[in-house]
Amino acid sequence: MVLQGLMEVLQPMTIVLVAIGTVVGIIFGSIPGLTATMAIVMFLPVTYSMTASEGISMLMALYIGGISGGLISAILLNIPGTPSSVATCFDGKPLADKGEAGRALGTGVVFSFVGTIIGIGLLMILAPVLCDFALKFQAYEYCALAIFSLSMVIALTGHDMPKGLISAVLGALLATVGLAPIDSKPRFTFGLYQLNNGFALVVLLIGLFAIAEVMAYAETVRQKQDFTIRSNVKIKGVGFTFKEFVGQIRNAVVSALIGVGIGILPGIGGGVSCMISYTVSKNTSKRRELYGTGIMDGVVASETANNGTIGGAMIPLLSLGIPGDAATAMLLGGLQIHNVAPGPLIYEKNGVVVYAIFFAMVLAAIFMMLFMLLGMRFFVTVLKVPKNFLLPVVVVLCAIGAIGNANMIFDTYCMVGFGLMSYLLIKSKVPTVPMILGFILGPTFEQNLRRVSQLTSSDPFWNHPIFCVLIIATVFVVIFSARANIKDAQRAQAAAQQSLKSGVGDK
Amino acid sequence: MQNKNYKTDIIPGIVIAIFSIGYLALVPGIQTFTGLGSTPLTNHFVPYLWGGSLLALSLWIIVRGFRRRKKYLAEEGKIEKTSLKNALMEQREVVASFIALALYVGLMDLVGFVIMTILYVFVQILILTPREKWGKTYVPAAVTAAVSGVLLFYIFRYLLNVLLPVGVLKFFGL
Amino acid sequence: MKRMLSLLTVLVMLLALAACGGNGGSSSNDGGGSSWPEKTINIYVTHAAGGDTDYMARQLGEALQKELGQSVVCTNVTGSNGATCMQQYKDGDADGYTFIASNTAALNGNEATGMVDFGYDAFEPVAIYGIQSGENIVVPADAPYDDLEGFIEASKANPGQIKYGTSTGGGVYIQTCVMTNLGGAQFNIIDAGDAANRLTALLGGEVDGTSLPYSTAADYIENGQLKSLCTCLSKAPTMMPDQKSASETIPELIVDTEYVLLAPKGTPAELVEAMNAAILKVTGTDEWKTMVNDYCCQDPFVLNVADSAANLKEQRDLFQSFVPFL
Repeated sequence: MVLQGLMEVLQPMTIVLVAIGTVVGIIFGSIPGLTATMAIVMFLPVTYSMTASEGISMLMALYIGGISGGLISAILLNIPGTPSSVATCFDGKPLADKGEAGRALGTGVVFSFVGTIIGIGLLMILAPVLCDFALKFQAYEYCALAIFSLSMVIALTGHDMPKGLISAVLGALLATVGLAPIDSKPRFTFGLYQLNNGFALVVLLIGLFAIAEVMAYAETVRQKQDFTIRSNVKIKGVGFTFKEFVGQIRNAVVSALIGVGIGILPGIGGGVSCMISYTVSKNTSKRRELYGTGIMDGVVASETANNGTIGGAMIPLLSLGIPGDAATAMLLGGLQIHNVAPGPLIYEKNGVVVYAIFFAMVLAAIFMMLFMLLGMRFFVTVLKVPKNFLLPVVVVLCAIGAIGNANMIFDTYCMVGFGLMSYLLIKSKVPTVPMILGFILGPTFEQNLRRVSQLTSSDPFWNHPIFCVLIIATVFVVIFSARANIKDAQRAQAAAQQSLKSGVGDK
Repeated sequence: MQNKNYKTDIIPGIVIAIFSIGYLALVPGIQTFTGLGSTPLTNHFVPYLWGGSLLALSLWIIVRGFRRRKKYLAEEGKIEKTSLKNALMEQREVVASFIALALYVGLMDLVGFVIMTILYVFVQILILTPREKWGKTYVPAAVTAAVSGVLLFYIFRYLLNVLLPVGVLKFFGL
Repeated sequence: MKRMLSLLTVLVMLLALAACGGNGGSSSNDGGGSSWPEKTINIYVTHAAGGDTDYMARQLGEALQKELGQSVVCTNVTGSNGATCMQQYKDGDADGYTFIASNTAALNGNEATGMVDFGYDAFEPVAIYGIQSGENIVVPADAPYDDLEGFIEASKANPGQIKYGTSTGGGVYIQTCVMTNLGGAQFNIIDAGDAANRLTALLGGEVDGTSLPYSTAADYIENGQLKSLCTCLSKAPTMMPDQKSASETIPELIVDTEYVLLAPKGTPAELVEAMNAAILKVTGTDEWKTMVNDYCCQDPFVLNVADSAANLKEQRDLFQSFVPFL
């Protein structure tokens, strides 16, 4: 069966489709506004007429390519190409600013590959065990998980805690627009049916990052500009040494495990996994203070985790028939159309297809690394394009992405609104990244909190050990990061006063 | 040093506080659901939670801002004032970009994707180009605008089935 | 003077008639019978790619494309159980090139639960062109009851002890309400989300029973983890004839999800008829039968315009009778 699966994938036609899928995925991922999910949505109907193995292989390639491609624009433009690469900007952009775009890209690509492979490995070996774990997550556990993940905001924000929290709460608040979870009653829609679906994550992302980046550039128009420094990028090999690779192994493994773990739990997704993994990596590192200034570790944490999430998300999808996010929901449809019913019997009934999926994923991961490493020299030429020409076209692509998300022009209005909001928040020194976490986790929290409120009478919380552990962990995270933040703030203040005093003394 | 930032505490704090009060005021108007399987916590609870938290946080930074203002006054003795008009003039490229963007999406449905994109890209390129370099920019900007407008429309409308608005080009049978 | 006036009246009437005739003529030239279709036909699908509504719509679109010789483009406009798309296109171009593909449970269910304030009569129904494999009421395989009657009796014996997972607002919710109000079940009703979430909740033991699409539950039934008590279809699918129907226990408990093609209100009747004729033709093939047998476990089920409208009305009336307790 394993060999048969391998043979299916090694058909010339399938290999070509995987290659095409990977390239298209990378393109969709790298263009801000177009996401991996959108690539799958657009190409799913094309696969209806293919054989099961061909169709699914192509969809997997789109998925892997799409999630990986997001790092390109995150590093080169400081605009995450997909929600999964938000955290890649944190260190990718500073690296590119230092003229080390090649190193950042190489790191991102290689560790995306590592993350994907670890994810696939766990998927192949441990899927049944991990499924039991996923089934243990019910309303109580999700509620606690959402609280726990939200508490990461405090660690993520740095020394200005209230503003970080404002950002996260604002994100959660924006997510309450639309039909309420559970009862589908409209909230804050002002009678506009277009708002019934709520705001789309990709539209928020475009507003927060792409539009904000255009405005940040607009501010510098009258300043003297120097295009030459950053475009002068040298690329040697994959951009980093073998020794550096070895040094990142621990970081990569931890990040991949976080990514896989979040992937297994339906409904959280890559956008959260990259941020949590970045935060964990930062807070457990000896070089804590260097994060955000442009070091490999940050890119490794983000990119390994978001690609690990792919393998993780496939576990409940294949073994239980439960999709974790919009992209895997599409894949589920793609499988069912070919009469492959994901679920406990998938190995018995469609074993060949399952192994074909595994090998297609490996193949797509290899293609992804190959194409992206080969393309690196080409990607960095983006830095040579004058930004006054590049950014307007990026905005147009974002508008297309916003429209394409649900085929509604209304979403472009939201895009501009979010852009304005983002600009004003940045001017007010409110960080915008926690907003993404709040926006994703807010609805998860609300839905499960309300379910818990239904359950408490018949099923009290002490029956749920995972819930208790997560809540205790949350308390520790909050205390630990709040203390660290206060210390950071004090240190910053002390340093400022010190310099002030010495300045006065010099006079 | 930190105290000088009091303005980025007070003004956003007040705006966010007003916003959260407005948000909270809307919550009681939301229809609740009382049928089978309704939850003891209604769909009002979490909006109240977020709205209340946001209000509390905004009050926190307002108070912090006023404290910093007091300290700043004690240190420096005077306050710099900038009028809104000056501030907007200072960032005129940003203001122009937002206006261009708003017009772009606002008129897209009516006029159509191709024409609005060509106009927008051209105008936005000029906005992002320093005044003195405009002379050399016109031609490449026009080419970029035309190519991106037509090409992207063709790719996404016809190859990928995204419903980009046709607008007035409808009358030309596109 | 009088003569002048009557002459004028006659003239005006003549003009009006001419105008009418002219209009009628041109409209029949535009769309009537022979020349339609002469450009791309757009089908807006109310549910996301990958789901059954989308798959059936695209299969139909592909078949129609071959039959009509014009391209048929399916586009998904999703959200709110199809309400977004219906709202957006119910007053769309009535030119015979705009259609909406949905399912009847969403169309009538959204009206019954008050999600939207319009029903099927806000559209011109074109055709009902298929029926879903249906939702089944499922419980763990080791549960002490084997049919719906036993399940409801068990809930009456221990009121509020059996946890039943529903999904508030949709077809599953309607079904739960009917069981409770007309079947006398005394479940502890718990919201458990969409089909995938309900499956997780059932497997994880958070609920004791729920309703799942047959396609989702099939494998678990086969490997002995779950068992199906009944289908909520009015009659069992043709490929699985030995399932019990819920309506044997509770006569009103019928949720038939049928695939329906709608046109915006005001689309000329002859164009609707022409489209329906094309659909009847393409769904009469062996190819279509094989596809439907495989995918829906059903035989082809296609209705003409009048029967489609009558079928929609029947389901709407049934769903509207539930409104008092929804």
